[in-house]
Amino acid sequence: MSEYAIRVKSVSKNFKIHHEKRDSVFESMTGFFQKQKHSEILQALDNISFDVKNGEIFGIIGPNGGGKSTLLRIISKIYSPDSGSVDVQGKIIPILALGLGFHPEFTAITNIYQSSILLGFKKETIDTRIKEIIKFAELEKFADTKVKNFSSGMLMRLAFATSVFVDPDILIFDEVLAVGDENFQKKCAKTILSFKERGKAIVFVSHNMGLVREYADRVMFLNKGKAQTIGSPDDVIAAYGDFCRERDKISNVSNE
Amino acid sequence: MTSIREEMWTNRAILFNFAISDLKVRYRNSILGVLWSIIEPLLMLSVLYFVFSTMFKFDIPNFPIYLLLGIIIYNCFKNGTSFALNSLTNRSALITQIYFPRSIPAISSAITASIMLAIEVGILLIFMIAFQFVPPITILLLPLVLGLQFMFVVGVCLPLSVLNVKFKDTEFIWNVVVHAGFFLTPIFYQFDMLPEFVQNILQFSPMVQILTMAHHVVLYGLLPPINSILYAVGSISVLTIIGYLIFRKYQAQMVEEM
Repeated sequence: MSEYAIRVKSVSKNFKIHHEKRDSVFESMTGFFQKQKHSEILQALDNISFDVKNGEIFGIIGPNGGGKSTLLRIISKIYSPDSGSVDVQGKIIPILALGLGFHPEFTAITNIYQSSILLGFKKETIDTRIKEIIKFAELEKFADTKVKNFSSGMLMRLAFATSVFVDPDILIFDEVLAVGDENFQKKCAKTILSFKERGKAIVFVSHNMGLVREYADRVMFLNKGKAQTIGSPDDVIAAYGDFCRERDKISNVSNE
Repeated sequence: MTSIREEMWTNRAILFNFAISDLKVRYRNSILGVLWSIIEPLLMLSVLYFVFSTMFKFDIPNFPIYLLLGIIIYNCFKNGTSFALNSLTNRSALITQIYFPRSIPAISSAITASIMLAIEVGILLIFMIAFQFVPPITILLLPLVLGLQFMFVVGVCLPLSVLNVKFKDTEFIWNVVVHAGFFLTPIFYQFDMLPEFVQNILQFSPMVQILTMAHHVVLYGLLPPINSILYAVGSISVLTIIGYLIFRKYQAQMVEEM
């Protein structure tokens, strides 16, 4: 197995922002003849390159709209990059929102099966672990409840428990762990550290600098689609802090 | 195309998982459940039988069986494609959060429709017993005809699933196509009742040829006419290739529209 779990090489991604979204063929046809443009190009990611090693926790920080979620989606193969390449070694589980693409009409157990099978795991593997997953998620009483009745905390616990027990090689989190209560967050942190010890890679996005400083081995500061700095948590968080102070100063000046 | 076949094989667990869960979601909260997939074609059958045997006095031998065969085969096409239309949009949460081959929802729609067809073929056999119709040995070729139809349905489902994400009109246009197709396919009439120039155009319709072949093997005890086989294989291949190309063009960017 190679040393790197994820290699991202000069990835760029543009989005077309429709100001007046054309959903129907008729609108597309009439829009074609109109002179003024209804869309502009937003460069979500601009020439991003970085590696994540096996056994490394990689943090991504930056302001809203900086491209963090887009980057996670590209690593998880949900979006395809316009240029550049992403090389992922091993099985990957992304928790990008509350849940793992859970279907609201299905029970917790059905959803565990559906999501893990979609992520490439065998039904037999899940059979042996389903009880542990439910127990870890603290959802023993709700295993047969439709997830549309779940609270956000319950959804997050179910997603995290599923992702942990199907034992992927790479875990990806997008700012969702903050939903859990303190007790569960501690449990998550413990599990993530044991993942790291077993040589698995973790990539996460967070606005909680304490968390980033405590757990990340390396951090990337992403702003306006560009990787501003990549390095040790202390350096990168300091750079992000400078950026925030600078931005506040500008907005204060313009307010006066 | 071979890549789609390999994808289907490696992902067969997901395909069937989707197909079964589609059936479950479809009949959830309904008292009769899966029975609806039997009742619906039977209701259709009684209406059409009443209209065409008493009002129009069509004289087709074994008319109830002829009619039911046409209804269930056309229903499979109608169901598969209409499931496929919303197969991606119904799963937007899943698709924006987990990567899996984007062809799976469309193909599993075709599988769901085929499972329903299999149940309906059972009803057809019961009908044959009830009407004391002894099916000819050529009925054993029916699975081959239905296999060809499955290919056709998949070929149409793939582009429909991605197009309907990008253009919501797809669904409305397709509903008209399916309605028109019902009358342009020899379900309640025989193909040679049509004027010749209409026949010349409609012979390119895959559903016309599939139904013609089904009539031959199930009712007439004849091998499918060679013309039907050629037209069916030809038109289905062309449509499937076009469908696959459309699917490939839109499948990656489709997620960004969700």
